[in-house]
Amino acid sequence: MAKIVGVTSCPTGIAHTYMAAEALEKAAKKAGAKAKIETNGSIGVENKLSTKDIEEADAVIIAADARVDMARFDGKPLKEVSVSHAIKNAKALVDEALAGNFTIYSKK
Amino acid sequence: MKITELMTEDIMCLELTSKTKKEVIKELSQLLFDADKISDLDKFVTEIETREALSTTGVGYGIAIPHAKTKFVKTPALAFGKSKEGIDYDSMDGENAHVFFMIAAPADGANLHLQTLAKLSRKLIDEQFRNDLLEASDAKEVLKVLSKIDKEEK
Repeated sequence: MAKIVGVTSCPTGIAHTYMAAEALEKAAKKAGAKAKIETNGSIGVENKLSTKDIEEADAVIIAADARVDMARFDGKPLKEVSVSHAIKNAKALVDEALAGNFTIYSKK
Repeated sequence: MKITELMTEDIMCLELTSKTKKEVIKELSQLLFDADKISDLDKFVTEIETREALSTTGVGYGIAIPHAKTKFVKTPALAFGKSKEGIDYDSMDGENAHVFFMIAAPADGANLHLQTLAKLSRKLIDEQFRNDLLEASDAKEVLKVLSKIDKEEK
C-alpha cells in the first residue's frame, strides 16, 4: 500500500493546521493509500513523523504557512503548498503524490 | 474540554444582521465582549483582523472561522453566528459564508481548549457535519450537532 506522509502548519496553529491534516488523511484513505500527517499547531507537534515513517513514504506533502523542519525530507519526492491550498485541493494533491509526479527534495 | 463548554447560548446568534466581513467580525466580537469573554473589544477585533490579513479564514463550504490567540481573551470561548443570506468573507472558494465560528483563545494558560478546537476544525471537513450545521435552525440544534464532537474519539 502506498504511503504518504505530510506536515501541516499555519500562522495561529488553531484551525487550518487540523483541517488540512484531516482533508489529506481523508483523501488518502479514499484513494486507498496510508497517510500519516504531522500537525505543527499551537498545541505543539502532534503525530510526529519518525525516521521510519519518512523512509517508508512514497511521497511527502508539506502544507504550511509557517516554518517546518525540512532537512529530514532530503531525497524524498515532495511538494510544498499553502495550508489553504491543501484544504481545498486535498484530493488532487494526493492523486499527484500517488502518480509519482512530485520532484525530489534536496536540502540546501 | 467539551465544545459545549466553550460555546454557550449567550454567544450564539442565529440571525446575524451583518452584511460585510468587517461588520460580522465586530458583531461576533461584541457577543464575546458582552459575555465577558474578552477584555478589550477594539483590540480583540484588531487581532482578528490581523489574522485575516495573513490569509482569510473563510475556509469555503459556507464556513468561516475567524480566530485569535491573544492576551485580550479572558476565558477561552467559541462564538457562533449564522447568516441566512450569507456574507462575502473573501472565502477560498469565492462563495458567501453562512456559518461562523469565532475562536477566542487566551495567550497563555491551559491548552485544553486547543484540543477541542482542533477537533472542531477536523470535523469541518466532514460534509454531513457541515450540512447539519447549515440546517440547524436554533441554538439548541446547533449545540446538538456540535455535541457529536464531544462524543467522538479524536
